[in-house]
Amino acid sequence: MRSSTIVRVLAAGAATAAVTATAGLATATPAYAATSKVSVVHGIPATPVDVYVNGKVTLKNFQPGDVAGPLDLAEGKYDIDLTKPGEAIDKAILSVDGAAVPGGANISIVAHLDAAGTPKITPFVNDVSKVGAGKARLVVRHTAAAPAVDVRAGGTPVFKNLTNPDEAKADLGAGTVSADVVLAGTTTVAIPATDLNLAEGTATIVYATGSAEGKTLGVVAQVITGLHSAPGGVPSGDGGLADDSGVSTWWLVAGAAALLLALGGGIRLATRRTGR
Amino acid sequence: MSLHHHGVPREIRGARRSHLSRRAVLAACGAALLAGCGAGEADSTSPEVEALSSPTPSPDVPPTQVPVQRAGLPTAQAVIRPVRLRIPAMSLDAKVDAVGIDARTGDFAVPPSVDRVGWYRHGPGLEARAGSIVIAGHVDSAAQGRGAFFTLRTLAKGDRLTLTDGAGRGYGFQVVGVEQFRKTRIPLERYFARDGAPRITLITCGGPFDESTRHYRDNIVVTATA
Repeated sequence: MRSSTIVRVLAAGAATAAVTATAGLATATPAYAATSKVSVVHGIPATPVDVYVNGKVTLKNFQPGDVAGPLDLAEGKYDIDLTKPGEAIDKAILSVDGAAVPGGANISIVAHLDAAGTPKITPFVNDVSKVGAGKARLVVRHTAAAPAVDVRAGGTPVFKNLTNPDEAKADLGAGTVSADVVLAGTTTVAIPATDLNLAEGTATIVYATGSAEGKTLGVVAQVITGLHSAPGGVPSGDGGLADDSGVSTWWLVAGAAALLLALGGGIRLATRRTGR
Repeated sequence: MSLHHHGVPREIRGARRSHLSRRAVLAACGAALLAGCGAGEADSTSPEVEALSSPTPSPDVPPTQVPVQRAGLPTAQAVIRPVRLRIPAMSLDAKVDAVGIDARTGDFAVPPSVDRVGWYRHGPGLEARAGSIVIAGHVDSAAQGRGAFFTLRTLAKGDRLTLTDGAGRGYGFQVVGVEQFRKTRIPLERYFARDGAPRITLITCGGPFDESTRHYRDNIVVTATA
């Protein structure tokens, strides 16, 4: 009985020690080794893949139109390889050696087609600065095998002459906008109108993907939350009826001071009188 | 009868508190009579309320389990908006409007009608499992007189409030803190946070009133939890 208690206590002690050690390890990670949030976006039509990072399979059977992550990756260079699902890394269909991940950034690594229709990988750094209260950020990235395009919101071009692999962005009032994509400078619709719900305090990143020639143009969206700001203030009264202390207390104090002065004067007067 | 009985000590408590704060102000003013009055009063904050706003740590995801999502276009989240606010201790039963930001000023768009209060529709609604559900209302207005939140500052820890949704379902909360800040110092990010413990934040104006600018110096913040 006693020994079992001792064992339990020892075990508990060991567990505590282990936890402490782990915590120690965690805190021992140098603060300057900034990690980045990394998402992986699949924008190559009809090509599911396995994703290898530094030779290690990280995503299996990753489907077109999916977004993976975000992963916390330390600053550094990374080798990225895409294979057909289940195939060995030496049969990679797409490889990038030494892709640089800067510290403390938010990055999207996008597998997509270039303007000519060849698969490639493009890293984008995401703007995760705060948006103003009531606002949402819209980012559009041209990652499709298609010529230059205009992006229209409610029929009006908002981003003009966007080419692969560039992006355009704006902070807009939160809410729903109807957006479509047309060939630059024309009204020829490349991607038909869709309702985009831009939630307040988020960045919605829309990737145009696929191929115009292959008739596989479409969109993939990635949403980054937590970019909201507080309102500038909460003005909620201009009547003065609830005025607390300020004026009334001031008058109380002033009154008391006046009274003291008057009393002092009175006493002085009295002293003078008795003196005589 | 019991209602009346309950009401009496509340009144006394409120009265005593305001008397105390007045005495404190008087003392401060007395000490700083030459330096001038009105600059001394410190913000009153609550460590308990502050603790509610610390975000809960997210669980560590092992590197082999990378979250993957179908990246369709985002759709609007279902938000349960409050339509009515009842605070028995203030004899308040007010309609709640869904409001956002005044585009001209960037400020919280408090409903112009002072007998209504405004729920911040960009923040969480009654479905929230985290973050601050914010409702602001007028203390008063020059044109309309006393507002719905005229006596908000008299609330005390333990006072109850009920928010009702459009389906008539009530959500009960209890006051955990009453704070007062100068508007220039109020940590609004904390009160408009979308993480931390789920909580209700009621905001109005208070403190001394500046006749020349027609503004109150302070904000009164009441925090309540379920």
